[in-house]
Amino acid sequence: MALPPVAWHALVAFVVLNAVVLLVTYVTLLERKFAARMQSRIGPYYVGRPHGWLQPIADALKLMIKEDIVPAAADRGVYNLAPVVFLVPCMLIFATIPFAPGLGVADLNIGVLFFLAVSSLEIVGLFMGGWGSNNKYALLSAMRAVNQIISYDLPFVFAALVPVLLAGSLQMSAIVDAQQGLAFVFYPVLGQLAFVAYLVATLAAENRVPFDILEAESELVAGFRVEYSGMKFALIQLGEYAHMLGTSFLGALLFLGGWLGPGPAWLGPFWFLGKALLIFLIVTWVRWSFVRIRVDQILAISWKLLLPATLVLLLATGLVVATRGAGGV
Amino acid sequence: MTLETAGFWVVAVVLLASSLAVVLTPNLFHAVLYLAAALVATGVVFLLLDSPFLFAVQLLLYAVGVMAIVVFAIMLTERLVGERITQTSRHLVNGGVVAAGVFIGIAGFLIRVPRSLPRAPLVGDATPALGRALVGPFALTLELLGVLLVVALLGALYFARADE
Repeated sequence: MALPPVAWHALVAFVVLNAVVLLVTYVTLLERKFAARMQSRIGPYYVGRPHGWLQPIADALKLMIKEDIVPAAADRGVYNLAPVVFLVPCMLIFATIPFAPGLGVADLNIGVLFFLAVSSLEIVGLFMGGWGSNNKYALLSAMRAVNQIISYDLPFVFAALVPVLLAGSLQMSAIVDAQQGLAFVFYPVLGQLAFVAYLVATLAAENRVPFDILEAESELVAGFRVEYSGMKFALIQLGEYAHMLGTSFLGALLFLGGWLGPGPAWLGPFWFLGKALLIFLIVTWVRWSFVRIRVDQILAISWKLLLPATLVLLLATGLVVATRGAGGV
Repeated sequence: MTLETAGFWVVAVVLLASSLAVVLTPNLFHAVLYLAAALVATGVVFLLLDSPFLFAVQLLLYAVGVMAIVVFAIMLTERLVGERITQTSRHLVNGGVVAAGVFIGIAGFLIRVPRSLPRAPLVGDATPALGRALVGPFALTLELLGVLLVVALLGALYFARADE
């Protein structure tokens, strides 16, 4: 290729960004179909036969041409900026994920840390939306979100650090390479516990049922996005699902061995996608099976159980690594 | 001018503007948002200086951690109580004098630093070196900071406990 490096990077980023948007759009269809099957329904069917494969496109078009309403009492600047501030970190997290060896925007040597730092930035957009709407439901929701992020950020980081310690690197590709022999989810005791902690913290970080007190439709209508409509609502929704999918990709990479799998090398990205979708479906399965729990219960789970447990787990991993050396089994 | 220098100037302008906005805007919530922008811009400066580790830590601890706590404090005190708290800077002149003094101090220090660096810059990845320094020569400092934070936590618990 005779392209200058800057143009080449921009091109790769453009392709990845569009692929992610397309993937996220269709993940919503996957979730709806999956939930429908769980409840003995059919789900979206008529828009694009068979099985409503045009439904996500129709939804996106509908949201784009809907009227954009700004509440009269809203803090206009903050209100308008919030969906963008919410979406940008959710898209940025895909920058460090390598989808196969050498296939990604940037394989930073602190990839995992970058992911964790940027992904939690979405909270800024979230409370901008909650505050800027000037709506009591939105404000309550934003308050709960801040509450939850303080409680669940640490367990999430600790759980994600277990594979990092085992691999002895923060670089995503190095973590996958360390799982050549055995994926970290199969690492005796440590792997399974860390994976479960990661899944629980993911549910909380994504504000999904049973941790969805911040959108709790029965008490807060729709939470921080209650005043958003049309394109801005679409951006928030897109950001939320992108974040969800990004966390699934990170989980697949940290615990399930990323693109490793039987078959030729070009199957790698498909293995990776399959594993990420598996995690996404586990999260969806939990969402459609459990009931919402109370605020105090959510806080108790985090501070009294998950935080000490992940901390002990991290210490134990450190001991194992110190005695046996880093790397896979 | 290289792309990196151009990037620095853009970030510098954003950083300066948002920092000024933090102290000059009358709306407390807007001030917090400008603070977030300033903290993220500081992180980007680290990134431009080839230190992605500091960039990530800056985002994780300051842009998210500190921000969440500040916003929490505002939400608990302002709108729920029902009255708007505006922030006004009553000591604009005094603040300006102090800021100018600090600026002159730092600028004087920077001007007097010799042009040639006393040590060759680290080549390659500085993150492992940072890690080794933290558990090696600076282990005692790190542990002392940990003890300090535990003491602060215990103090907070003492003040927050319910009256018996």
